[in-house]
Amino acid sequence: MGLIRGIAEAVMEKAKHEVKDYLIKFMEEEKEKEKKTEEIKKEEIPAVMQKESVKIEEFKEEDDEDEEILPLIESEFTKFTYKVKPKDFTIPGELAETIKMLPVEEFACFVKLMIFVFEQKKNFGYLGNTLRRKIGLESFENEKFDKTVENLEKYGVLKIEQVSDNQKTFILYVPFDEENMAKAEYQKPEKSQQKKPEKKPFRKGDDDEKPAERKEKPVEKQDDQQDEIPGKAVFGMENDDLYKSYRTFVSLEIDKAKMRVGRSNFDKIYMEAVKYIDKKYGFKVLSDSEKFKEYLTNYYISAFDIPTFDSWKKTKV
Amino acid sequence: MLDSRILLKSLNDLEVRIMLCKSAFEWELLAKKYVDVESNIKNFFKKKKIPENFTTALDSLRASLVQKKGELPPIDLSDFFK
Repeated sequence: MGLIRGIAEAVMEKAKHEVKDYLIKFMEEEKEKEKKTEEIKKEEIPAVMQKESVKIEEFKEEDDEDEEILPLIESEFTKFTYKVKPKDFTIPGELAETIKMLPVEEFACFVKLMIFVFEQKKNFGYLGNTLRRKIGLESFENEKFDKTVENLEKYGVLKIEQVSDNQKTFILYVPFDEENMAKAEYQKPEKSQQKKPEKKPFRKGDDDEKPAERKEKPVEKQDDQQDEIPGKAVFGMENDDLYKSYRTFVSLEIDKAKMRVGRSNFDKIYMEAVKYIDKKYGFKVLSDSEKFKEYLTNYYISAFDIPTFDSWKKTKV
Repeated sequence: MLDSRILLKSLNDLEVRIMLCKSAFEWELLAKKYVDVESNIKNFFKKKKIPENFTTALDSLRASLVQKKGELPPIDLSDFFK
């Protein structure tokens, strides 16, 4: 019995060892299998990722190509000036409905431009290098600002006009209100051509001294206006070539004077001009950009002995 | 209820901001602020005479605004003539 039991125990012991070995082998195999599958996965993922990134890039390229901004409105751009500047800056409801759909940057740019030109009682202005700073968008880089303005044009709420080789103007879409606004027709080249023939008879009449009195009066009035405000863009007079060349002449003379007297002296003269305008026309004029420029031009004309329009005209005729 | 001290304080604040003003755009905002404060003061002392300290503060503020406008770079007139 003792022998049989001994044999049985030995068999059991061996069986236990075999089972242990089998289990260890099984576990090792399982681990190896897991490792292999992980490696295979790692190899596959980059390939898949690459494929996906390629797809994303393709999509992006497609997006860039297809980045077509559709206009929000079919707007008619009219250059206008306010007959009387409203006390408060307001956005008409129709316009508000349109511009609320603009992206944040375009929206901000449009509103800032609108506030800027509103101060000048109009809906248009020059697209100069300093515009970005003037409207308080220094945080935008030049390229970004240009792009934003371009986008605004694509959205149909702004129009850019190339006035000359270096000069561009922008017109903001603001619904035209006949009661409070007057069309700034003199700035449209098409209409200016139409106006020229109307003016010629007036001039001929002046030369021949035969016109009816009614015709003479408006011409005299226009001349008076010119004398009062030499730099001012008078309605209807913008088309007058003579007046245009006078304005260019004044501009050049001021530039020449600036060079002649030097920067520091010119700054002093400017300082005196500001004080003089404040005393003579009141403080409010200083913050009214257009009026201030008019009076400043007047001051320069007298300070630098630049001929007035009348005296300059005599030298030309 | 608007206290006259608030108005006086806003005048003082404006004076500091004028000293720190560096651009024409900023100047225009301050000029508007000045006009607003001035009209507020006039409304506040509608029936009474404006106290001397207010008038002197307004005068000096206006003078410093004018001075600052003159100190800023001269306005570019090139676009005005086109």
